[in-house]
Amino acid sequence: MRRLNPAAILMLAPTHLLLFLVIALPSIYVFWLSLNESTYGSDLTFVGFNNYVTVLTSPYFWRAALNTLIVVNAVVYIELLIAIGMAALFLGGVRYPKIMFAIVLMPYAISEVVGVLVWKIMLNTGSGVLARTIEALGFGMFNWSVSPPLALSVVTLISIWHHLPFTFLLIYAGMLAIPKSLYEASRIDGASRWQEFWRITLPLTVPAILISLIFRFVFAFRLFSEVWLLTAGGPARLTEVLAVYLYQSGFKYGEFGTASATGWLMVLGSLGVASVYLWAMHRRMVSGND
Amino acid sequence: MTEATPIVLPNMAARRVAGIARAIVRTALFALIIVWSAFPILYIVVSSFKQQKEIFKYPPDIIFTPTFEHYAALATKWTGFFPTMGNSLIVAVGATILACVASILSGFVYSRYANRFLAGSVLYLIAIRLLPPIVVTLPLFPVVDALKLSDTHLVLIILYATFWVSLCTMIMKTFIDKIPRTLDEAAVVDGATTMQTLVRVIMPLALQGIAACAIFVFVFAWNEYLFALIFTTQHAKTAPLIISEVMDAVSGTNWGVLFAGVTVQLLPVTLLVMLAQRFLIAGLTAGSVKG
Repeated sequence: MRRLNPAAILMLAPTHLLLFLVIALPSIYVFWLSLNESTYGSDLTFVGFNNYVTVLTSPYFWRAALNTLIVVNAVVYIELLIAIGMAALFLGGVRYPKIMFAIVLMPYAISEVVGVLVWKIMLNTGSGVLARTIEALGFGMFNWSVSPPLALSVVTLISIWHHLPFTFLLIYAGMLAIPKSLYEASRIDGASRWQEFWRITLPLTVPAILISLIFRFVFAFRLFSEVWLLTAGGPARLTEVLAVYLYQSGFKYGEFGTASATGWLMVLGSLGVASVYLWAMHRRMVSGND
Repeated sequence: MTEATPIVLPNMAARRVAGIARAIVRTALFALIIVWSAFPILYIVVSSFKQQKEIFKYPPDIIFTPTFEHYAALATKWTGFFPTMGNSLIVAVGATILACVASILSGFVYSRYANRFLAGSVLYLIAIRLLPPIVVTLPLFPVVDALKLSDTHLVLIILYATFWVSLCTMIMKTFIDKIPRTLDEAAVVDGATTMQTLVRVIMPLALQGIAACAIFVFVFAWNEYLFALIFTTQHAKTAPLIISEVMDAVSGTNWGVLFAGVTVQLLPVTLLVMLAQRFLIAGLTAGSVKG
């Protein structure tokens, strides 16, 4: 290991300048913005925690917070269950693995815009190929554009479709790392495949599951494009999520103060969620080491 | 088990039936995964080769005579399309180069140098990824405007590169950690400078990591929507943005053209991801599990 010298500091500079100027400094400044009132072209007026009061007493904010909570939890846990099932299926052997992985990865390459476009067309009431199939099967009209719960279900579906490859790969990599000798030992002991899954595969995949939970909660929390492009938060702001609420108050209504307050509340929420799982991981690491 | 288990003659027929049933269920599940992953994408791609009146036919025709009319109409009916594809390419290539150069340099330092500040800043690199990026748009918006950077390629290049440098730094560190230190020490003994060591010795051996970083950043920048929506209006507008605008306005005879444009937008990156799966998987495990 070499001692840090001026040349090495210079090599660190691009990365740390980018992170500091584009993320760290602005996120601190957002806190100052959240304590002031301002709009396009106006100076800042210090108002203390007034913006937080405005946000926290707004029914639209709470609606957005509730929607975010429901959609994020649905996305993360459903996606995780599918990913675990898929990874276990792949672990049991897969023919043409390269082709199968290439196919599984396809949604990862698609823009959120295109993802929304294709699902919107397939689920379009009365004309979409999936909507008509749902109707033909006797489930009635599939009219998500007037039903907030259905619209949010479509958002959940699109989000899972998009991010499943990521979660699947993390879980699968975790399962692959389990020593083969454990399975050989359990075969000798006469364990069934079902027992193997519950007693060996699943417990030893827990670290990978925790990591993918942190990643997915943090990323799902940012949910914006799917909602914005599908419903723009409507009807009557009933399908807004936090990022859409922030975007509306900042860039549509020009209320930078309340938008910044929302931003800081999002930061706190994001860190809160991540810290729960980081704590769980830390505890596992501590108990695993003694 | 230590006690002797009684020997039971396995019921061969029942076992074979169970084995066949298992194989059928597994095949069905794999088929379901293929349909789930590929169908929506193939639906757009296939529809772009259908005649206008066939696109929304139900049930859809599986066999049909392909037409290239929508592709021919792309340049004339949708004049904004190719310029925005050009913008997407410039932004994606620019962001990829900036993020890769920055993270090769910093990944090398994190792998080869020791310092208390360095060890602490790893935590900062991880923590900063937890912040929702939409939050920084609010203070950046007026700054970008004042610097006359609004609606330029440069602002998107800088933003997209920044969102990925911390993860890419961790990926590069993991890959460079695997290269034996004796190799760079030998290069130094031979009189190579630090920079020469990095370029001639380290980079060729860390190509897999560089490829992983490049693919992550390129795919992200090629597809990104929110920041393009906020920071570009006309000159630097990227393809996802114009697709979203046309998607809301399209009617009548233009669906085929939209599908053709979307196919042009998604096909190169989808093929890249499918062909480069090895690097993606290696990068994901290096970046997430260690980071």
